[in-house]
Amino acid sequence: MRVTQNSIASNTIYNLQQGRIKLDALQESIATQQKVNRPSDDPTSSGVLMDIGDRLKALDQYATSITKANTWVSFTNTALTGMTDIMAQAKKLVSSISSGTSDPSIRQSAHDQLVDLKKQMVDMANTQIGDQYIFSGGKSNVPPFTNTDNAYAGAADPNSTQLTIEIARGTDQAVSITGDRLLLGSVTAPPPSYGETNILETFDNLITAVGDRNIASNATDLAQGATDLQAGFVQITNAVGDNITRMTRLDTISTLNDTNKNMLQSMLDKIQNVDLAQLGVELSSQTTAYQASLSTTAKISQLSLLNYL
Amino acid sequence: MGLNTAMDIGRNALMIFQTANEVTSQNIANVNTPGYSRQKVVLESGPTSTAVKGYPLESGVRIANVERVYDGLLQQQMVSSGSTQSYDTTKSQVLQQIEPSFNETNTDGLGAAVSKFFASWQDLTTNPAGYFERQAVISRAQGLADNFHSVSQTLTNTISAQDAALAPLTNSININLQGIARLNAEIKNTDMLNGNDNGSRDQRDQLIRDLSQQMGVKFTDNRDGTTDVYVYDSVSNTNIYLVQGTVSGSLTTGGTPPASTVTINDPAGTVLLSVDPKATTPLYSAPDGGQLWGTLQLRDKIIPGYLTQIDTLAESISTSVNALHSAGFSPTGATGQDFFATWAGTGAAANFKLDLGLTSSTIAASSSDQLPGDNSNALKIAKLANGQTTPAATPTATFSSFYSSFVSSFGMDVQSSKAIVAQDDAYMKQLTALRDSNSGVSLDEELTNLLKYQRSYQASAKVITTVSDMLDITLAMIR
Repeated sequence: MRVTQNSIASNTIYNLQQGRIKLDALQESIATQQKVNRPSDDPTSSGVLMDIGDRLKALDQYATSITKANTWVSFTNTALTGMTDIMAQAKKLVSSISSGTSDPSIRQSAHDQLVDLKKQMVDMANTQIGDQYIFSGGKSNVPPFTNTDNAYAGAADPNSTQLTIEIARGTDQAVSITGDRLLLGSVTAPPPSYGETNILETFDNLITAVGDRNIASNATDLAQGATDLQAGFVQITNAVGDNITRMTRLDTISTLNDTNKNMLQSMLDKIQNVDLAQLGVELSSQTTAYQASLSTTAKISQLSLLNYL
Repeated sequence: MGLNTAMDIGRNALMIFQTANEVTSQNIANVNTPGYSRQKVVLESGPTSTAVKGYPLESGVRIANVERVYDGLLQQQMVSSGSTQSYDTTKSQVLQQIEPSFNETNTDGLGAAVSKFFASWQDLTTNPAGYFERQAVISRAQGLADNFHSVSQTLTNTISAQDAALAPLTNSININLQGIARLNAEIKNTDMLNGNDNGSRDQRDQLIRDLSQQMGVKFTDNRDGTTDVYVYDSVSNTNIYLVQGTVSGSLTTGGTPPASTVTINDPAGTVLLSVDPKATTPLYSAPDGGQLWGTLQLRDKIIPGYLTQIDTLAESISTSVNALHSAGFSPTGATGQDFFATWAGTGAAANFKLDLGLTSSTIAASSSDQLPGDNSNALKIAKLANGQTTPAATPTATFSSFYSSFVSSFGMDVQSSKAIVAQDDAYMKQLTALRDSNSGVSLDEELTNLLKYQRSYQASAKVITTVSDMLDITLAMIR
């Protein structure tokens, strides 16, 4: 094997280039802290990385949705708690005059209080988040109830769709409670149903039964009203319970999503993150090798018969 | 036999060693010339001319030949692996150029845009009547369309760039073909005069090697010193001659960009093979590598293949979203509104855009004309992201997994082409090293030769002065 000037030159260039390529790859890994910087670095892993990235994005989206759902459920909870208080007040009031009273001013006061409590009930049912009436189901643009009649203006069953959102892959959760289920005691499909009491009508019956300063109370109707009121109270408590179950579910799923996210993130890190210590060792050995080849090249290229002629 | 004979031998040797040093200096001067083969002076003793007292004596030294050190087999190997290397390099370079379009390891691209689009539908489910949520769906859809356009634009531009490269490439090939034919003629003439045209042969070898990088050619050496260059047509099982003796054929480009045709004309001017991307019988029947084949392959097969995949994704997104969206209802109760503009035929990615009638108030999130606040249709569309919907005809994958497996297989293509180029380079480097080792000039060797011939020159001069002294002595005898 003859060694000629050209073969020395091309060998030198090739080998230095190879050394440079290795150094460059190491430098890139260290600078980006990533093992895979483009699909061709590791096609299989890059597919997996994209998949994981996609699922992480989905989990982030679920987290956003759950936050919004939490707002919704909290608003609902506040409204329901308010309604429970109103019902409790109404119950107390009715029990205080359960057998009726002969004092016109007390009758009038009870009458006024009941009218006011019903108004408050309707106000609570008309709670909004932004522009949405939370108890209107699919017709969230209109208030579910007015003070004039007891008709439900929201979407009626079987269309009284509860707003349902996806909170994890394949897992849906209803976040809204419809006004007809809550206050009108609607029991038509689909579930849930909380009771069969028409609470607004019960208020109206009570207002009539208690009479006013001119009209005497009707004890029988009052007793019936008190019973209905109790049933209505249970109905709203059921709704509160359902709503709290929803809150718990959102929390559970949120924790589950976080766990999944951590697991995916750690998978991602395992595939993608570089081991800096290892890279450092490789870099220093590669640098030494490159310096050695540079110095050898410089020394060998000095050698020529010309130096001795 | 007299003193004059010795003088003649010395004088002759002086001239021979001068020539030998000329060859040496030629070698030294061409140490860096690409394709140069070192030349060697072959010396032999002269013919027996006189017998001195019955002993035969040769008449000094003469040059038998000035030959170039050359390995024909190595040339064959370099030509064929040059074609392979150049094909693989062309392919690998172009693939690496388009790789950033599909790189989602550092930045967000098409894959992220798909996820974001469906995430915006998820957002809409939490507030189906909300203006901002609706506006967000539209802007995410716009972002998705922009990503589709950008990717398909990159691929289309790359196809055009390959097409644009054809004309200069065929010109350069034609120049090489003419050069080979011209050198063939020179070599043939010199051969007839009993000469040895080493320089022209080196140049021709180099031209053939250059040509082999441009297209996959083969060559045969003829008895008259010329070399024929041809490509092998695997369909008709024949050789298509590009250079035959001292005449050359040519390649012509025609048609309209970005679908130019390439035609091979043989030395007689007959069209023998042509490539027309629209026709079914292209130049691919002569697939021996080289830049030309790589360029055509990229333009007509490889990149359009990627574009088809992106189109498939675009088509299935727009089809499946439209199917649900047009069945849904807007807050005003309107229905039948497409989300994406419908597009028949190829180029789904390039023509991916929102339907003209789509505004934030015509997004159909509801499943009923009675329920403006219903979100069930939006929920269905959001869930498309998890359903097997791609490709539209035979759905086997979700949008994201379809895209990520496409990126994965594209990455595989790039990776394997890089690996093959590295192998080609190493092999070519080895062949070049072998050629350099065999035919290359070693300066140390030439310097030694220089010294050797210089010493011989001095010795021959000494012969002459010695004979001259002897003549002086002889002349002095007769004084």
